Amino acid sequence: MTNHWIDVKNADVILVMGANPAENHPIAMKWVMKAKENGAKLIVVDPRFTRTAAKADLYAPLRSGTDIAFLGGMIKYIIDNKLYFKDYVVNYTNAVFLVNPEYKGPGELNGIFSGYDEKARKYDKKTWAYQMDENGIPKKDPTLKDPNCVFRLLKKHYSRYTLDKVSDITGTPKEKLVEVYEIYASTGKPDRVGTELYAMGWTQHTVGTQNIRTMSVIQLLLGNMGMAGGGINALRGESNVQGSTDHGLLFHILPGYLPSPTASIVDLKAYIEKHTPKTKDPKSVNWWGNRGKYITSYLKAIYGDNAAKENDFGYAWLPKLDEGMNGSWLVLFDQMFKGKFEGFFAWGQNPACSGANAGKVRKALANLKWMVNVNLFDNETGSFWKGPDVNSNDIQTEVFQLPACSSVEKDGSITNSSRLAQWRDKTIEPIGESKPDYEIMNELYYRVKKLYQKGGGKFPAPILKLTWDYGEKGPDGKVKKVDAHSVAKEINGYYLEDIFDKKVEPPKQIGKKSSLCTNFVTLQADGTTSCGNWIFSGSYTQKEDKIINMMARRDKDDPTGLGLYSKWAWCWPVNRRIIYNRASVDLQGSPWDPKRAVIKWNPAKEDPNTKKLGVWEGDVPDGPAPPMADEKAGKYPFIMRPDGMGAIFGPGLADGPFPEHYEPLECPLQENLMSKHRVNPTIKLFYATAGPHEKAAEKGGLPEDIFYSCDMRYPYVATTYRVSEHWQSGVLTRHQPWQLEMMPQQFVEISKELAAEKGIRSGDKIAVSSGRGKVWAIAWVTDRFKPFHVAGSTVHQVGLPWCFGWQYPEDGSGGDSSNLLTPTIGDANTMIPETKAFMVNLEKA
Amino acid sequence: MSNNMVKKANAFEIMNHWALAISFFILVISGFGFLFHLEQLNSVFGSFSQMRDIHNWAGVVFAVSLFFTIFNYLPLALSISGDDITWIFKGGGYFSKKAAVPPQDRLNTGQKLFYIFILLAGMAISASGFVIWLMPEVKKWIYLSFLAHNIGFDLMVIAIPLHIYLGTLANPGTFRIMVYGTVPIEWAKKRHAKWVQKMGI
Amino acid sequence: MTRKSLIISPELCIGCRGCQTACKGWNQLPATKTVNKGTAENPPDLTPNLYNKIRYVEIPSASNPVRWLFVSQRCMHCDDAGCMKICPAPGALFKTEEGAVAFNKDKCIGCKLCVSGCPFNIPRYDEKDKISKCHLCSDRIAEGLAPACAKTCPTGAIAYGDRDTMIGKAQSAGYQKLYGEADLGGLGILYAFKDAPRVYGMDEHPAIPEAVVFWHKTLKPLAYWGLGGAVAVSLLHYIAFGSKKDEEEVKKDE
Repeated sequence: MTNHWIDVKNADVILVMGANPAENHPIAMKWVMKAKENGAKLIVVDPRFTRTAAKADLYAPLRSGTDIAFLGGMIKYIIDNKLYFKDYVVNYTNAVFLVNPEYKGPGELNGIFSGYDEKARKYDKKTWAYQMDENGIPKKDPTLKDPNCVFRLLKKHYSRYTLDKVSDITGTPKEKLVEVYEIYASTGKPDRVGTELYAMGWTQHTVGTQNIRTMSVIQLLLGNMGMAGGGINALRGESNVQGSTDHGLLFHILPGYLPSPTASIVDLKAYIEKHTPKTKDPKSVNWWGNRGKYITSYLKAIYGDNAAKENDFGYAWLPKLDEGMNGSWLVLFDQMFKGKFEGFFAWGQNPACSGANAGKVRKALANLKWMVNVNLFDNETGSFWKGPDVNSNDIQTEVFQLPACSSVEKDGSITNSSRLAQWRDKTIEPIGESKPDYEIMNELYYRVKKLYQKGGGKFPAPILKLTWDYGEKGPDGKVKKVDAHSVAKEINGYYLEDIFDKKVEPPKQIGKKSSLCTNFVTLQADGTTSCGNWIFSGSYTQKEDKIINMMARRDKDDPTGLGLYSKWAWCWPVNRRIIYNRASVDLQGSPWDPKRAVIKWNPAKEDPNTKKLGVWEGDVPDGPAPPMADEKAGKYPFIMRPDGMGAIFGPGLADGPFPEHYEPLECPLQENLMSKHRVNPTIKLFYATAGPHEKAAEKGGLPEDIFYSCDMRYPYVATTYRVSEHWQSGVLTRHQPWQLEMMPQQFVEISKELAAEKGIRSGDKIAVSSGRGKVWAIAWVTDRFKPFHVAGSTVHQVGLPWCFGWQYPEDGSGGDSSNLLTPTIGDANTMIPETKAFMVNLEKA
Repeated sequence: MSNNMVKKANAFEIMNHWALAISFFILVISGFGFLFHLEQLNSVFGSFSQMRDIHNWAGVVFAVSLFFTIFNYLPLALSISGDDITWIFKGGGYFSKKAAVPPQDRLNTGQKLFYIFILLAGMAISASGFVIWLMPEVKKWIYLSFLAHNIGFDLMVIAIPLHIYLGTLANPGTFRIMVYGTVPIEWAKKRHAKWVQKMGI
Repeated sequence: MTRKSLIISPELCIGCRGCQTACKGWNQLPATKTVNKGTAENPPDLTPNLYNKIRYVEIPSASNPVRWLFVSQRCMHCDDAGCMKICPAPGALFKTEEGAVAFNKDKCIGCKLCVSGCPFNIPRYDEKDKISKCHLCSDRIAEGLAPACAKTCPTGAIAYGDRDTMIGKAQSAGYQKLYGEADLGGLGILYAFKDAPRVYGMDEHPAIPEAVVFWHKTLKPLAYWGLGGAVAVSLLHYIAFGSKKDEEEVKKDE
C-alpha cells in the first residue's frame, strides 16, 4: 500500500475493485466501515455482488478481465469533464513531459504500441521516450497543449474508451458507469480524496500490472496520491506476504527490491552501473540512485568480514540468473513437468492446490526425485503421490515431511499490507517435534555446509562464506538456537566503522562502530556498513547504548487524528506511514487539504539537525528537503522515480506505457472490441498458437497447457475467489473443525438465469470443467451473479472458491481445488497466473 | 356371604384403586413442585431430575390404573335412567338434612358422573403427559398438551378432594369398600337398592 | 451491576462469522459434520453446540441485483423470559446480575419445555437433553470482559455495554427505536434495524406464546385456589349438612 489500512477511514470515496475486503480482510474492513460512519461513499465494482457490495453505497457489475476498459472510461470521463486536479497534474506528474513524436499508440496501430516485434512478442521501447532538452532533462509543456505531451497522448489514447464501447466490453450498464465515474471523479477537488482497494481480482490477469497502472493514472489525475485517505492500496492475501516480497523471496529480486543480478553483469561495478537510474535534474531526488549503498551493505551483511573491497564484496558468490531467465512460478512448474528438477522444497505452501493448472503441477511433482514438504499439516502437495487419479506404484519421488510450528509458537515480525512490521513474541512452545522455519533452515544450512566442507563441490564459497550469526554457536560452529532478534538486527544493519557525514564542515559523526544503523540514509557504498534489507533499516535501532526493537512499540498516540499511529510498531521506509506525501502539499508546502494534513511545512521552526529554519510537521516527509517552490533546495515529490514525477506515461512496463484493454487468454469473445489484438501481445505463451483464433493447436505446447477461447465446449466465464471461513488453499483451515463446519464443501455460484437454463437447483452437485480439468461443486443459485450483455450477446459468469482439496477431509467430501481448472498463463510483467478469468462448462453431476 | 356382608369390590378393584390414588398423590405433589418451584420437595424426591422421573413413571402407573378403572365399571357407569336424572335434580340429597333419592345401582349417579369426569380428565391428563414427556420438540402439540395437562390438573385438584370427602366424611360406611371390599347388606340395601335387587339378595 | 446489553447492527455486519467461531472457542463447543446445501449458512440452524449464527438473508432490491443482509441469531435474554416462565426446574434457567438468562445443566431436568416458551425458538438440547444456549458469556462478564462475540466482531456490528448507554448511543447514531427496547420487558439483545423487523426475518411483535401466558396467569393460580377451595367447600358442607344419613336415622333425629 502507498497508504495504510487505518488511513482508509479518512477517505471521502472508497473504490473497491478487484478485491472483497469484507470477506477476505474482515478485521481491516472495520476501517472501511469507519469511513462510512464518517460519511464516505463505498463503491464496489465486481463481477459478483459480494459481501463488500452488501455494504456499498453503489455497486456496479463488470465481466471478469475488463477492468482496464472500465477504468479507461473513467479516465476519459475525468478528462472530458475537466475533473482532474490541474495544479497537481501539472506540477507533480509527467503529464507535462513531451514524448518522442515517433511514439504511436494502439489507436493508431490497431491495438499495439510502436516498436512491437511480433515474432519475439516483445517491444523495442526506443520510441517510448521523452524529448530531452540540452541539459538532458525531459522537455515539458505546462500548458498541456503540445500534441506530444503526455496529457494529450493520454487523452487521445482513452478517447476510444467511449461509454458505448466500455459498456459493450464490460457488460456494465451505461448508467452505472456514469454513476461510478461521477462519484469517484468528485475526488479531483483538493479537499476531497478517494482511495482504491485492490487484490488478486486485479493482479491475477494477463493485464494485471496494467490494471493497477490504470488506477494509478486516475489517482494521479485526481491528485489522490500522497494524500490521507488516498493512494493505491493493495490488500495483501497473507499476513506476511508483504514481508516475503520485501525480503526478496521472488526470483527476480534480492531483499529490498534490489534486482537479482544476471550472469552477464560480471562484477559489482557493472551491477551498480546497470541498475542505478540516473537523472540530470537537480530537483529530482532519484532515491534509487543510492542502489550501490544498498547492494554493498547487503553483501556485507550476509558475507561479513569475508566480503571486502578486494574480492568485490563477495559479489561473485551471489546466485545469478541466466540472461532472460524466467524463474517464475509458471515456468518453474513447467520445467519441473519436463523433468528438469531433481528436488523441491514446498515450504509453507500447497502448489498442488494453489498453483494455476493444478493438474499439471501434480503431474510435475511426480517427476521429482525428492520433495520436502514443510508445513503445519500434511497437504495435497506432500501427499500428491496418493492423490486421486494417481497410481502410487508409478511414483518414484521420495517425500519428506518436516513439521513447522505456527506463528504463535515462535518470535518474529510480520509485515502487513500497510508496510507495518509488527513484532510478535512466542507465546507457547511448539507442539510435538514441530519447529520454527528458521530452526529448520538452520539445521539444513549446517548440514549442507558440513557436506561442502567435507566433500568440496562445484562452488562451496557462497555457502561457506556466509556469516550466519543468528545465535550462540556451539563448539561445532552450529547455531544452537536461532535468535529471531539477531536476524532482525542483521536486517537492520550495523555500522562496521565510525561513519561521518563528510558533506558538512567539520565532518559530523553519524554512526558509531558496532552500533545498529539508524536508517538507510546513513548506509555507505564502501563496505563500512552492513544491512540485510535496506528498506528495513531503522526497524531495530540503537540510541547510545539503548537498543530498541522499533517493531515492538505499542504506543497509541495519534496527534494528527488521521490514524497515523507513528509510534505503533514500525513501517518502512523510515516509518513513513503515507508515501509520496510531498504530493499532499502545494509548492509552498501547505496541505492541499488542511483538514487532513499529512505533512505541513513550518517555515518558522528550526530544524534541529541542520539548524536551518523550516521543518516538516506530521508524518515523516517523503524526503526532508524544503518544499518544491524553494529554488535552491526544493525537490520533486515522487522520489523513487528518476525524474521525480508521478508516472502517467509509464515507459518501463513490458506491455505499453498506457494501459490498454486486452481480453483474457480464455474469453467469451471471438475478437477484442477495442482492437485487432485479442490478448496482451507480450504475454509468454505456453501453448504455441498460430494466428488470431487461438484454438487447440496442432503444434507446440504441452497438452496440459491447452486453452480454449470463444469455444462452445466452454461457454461460461469463470473466476476464483476466497471465503472468510477458509484461508488460501485451506491447508490450515480445513483442519479447523469450527471453520470446516461453516464452509464444508466446494461450491460454484451460478446466476438464477443460468441455473434455469441448465435445470440446476441450489444444493445440486455440479461438474465444472475447463480445458484442463474437472471438479465437482455444490451449486449456489443466486441473484448475486447476473448475466452480462456483452457485444450484443448474453455472457454468463460463475465463480468458485479455491480453498478445498482432496486430502482433507479424508473422505474427500470437501471436494478438490478449483485451480484444476485454471490456465497456464501469466501477467506480461510479473507472470502472476491469470486465475481470475477463464472459461468453463457446467453440468449436473 | 355370611355375617350380613356383601362384596362390593374385589381384590383387583381394591389394588387398582390404591394404585390410582397413590400414583395420583405423587403426581399432584410433584406437579405442584414443578408449578411453583417447591425446592423443599428435594428432601422427598432428591432432586428435580429425580422428581421428574418419578412423576413420569407414576404417570405410567396412573395411566395403566386408569385404563383398568375405566373398563372395570363399564357399561354401568355410562348408563342413564330416569332415577339418575331425579338424583341430579335432588342434588344427590347432599343439600338437605332429609336424604331422599331414588334407589341407586351399584354405582350411584354421583359416582357415575365422577366416572365420566375421571374418564375425560384422566385420559386428557395422561395423554398430554405422555406428549410432554416424549414429544417436547413438536411445538403445536406441546401447547395443546400443556393446556390440557394443566387444565386437567386444575380440575383434578378440585374434584379429588371432593371425591375423598364424599367417600369418607360425607358418606360414612363407604371408605371400608376401598380397604375390605365388603359392606353390610343393610347398608347396601339403603344405598344401592337396585344393585342388591339385581343380585337377588 | 446495571443491566448489560448487546446491540446488533446488521448494517455494520459483514457476515464474517468471527462471532460464531469465537463463541465456540470460548465455550469449547465441538463442531459437527455439515453438508453444503447451496448457501453459506452452515450449520443450518442453532444447535446445542452453536449458540449464535449469522443468517444470510437475500431480499429484492431496486438498485442492485439483491439486497443481502447478515443478521445474527441468538438468545435475546428477555427480561420477561418465556423460557424461565415455563421451566419447571428451579435454578435450571436463571437471571444473572447483568440481566442475562443463563443456565445450569445440573439443575436442568431435560424436559425440553423451554423452547416452547421462547418467542424466538432459541433453546437447544445436548445429548443428555439438557438446555444449551447463549448465556451472554456470563463467566466473561463476571471478570469484567465483553462477551466473546462482541470482542471479536471487527466492525462493531455486535457492541456490548450498559443497556441504557447503548440505547443512547444508537439513538444518537440515528436509530430512533431499537428492536427489543420494550418488548418482553425489554430484550437484553437489541437490534438496530434500518427497516421493519420483518425485512430482517424477525417477528414484529415478539411475545410469549399465548398458551403459556394463559397457563401462567390463569391456570397456575387456579391450582392452589382450586385445591384450597375444594377442601374449604368440603369442610363448609360438613359443617352445614353433616354426613349423609339414611331415612331411619333421619326419622330417629326428628
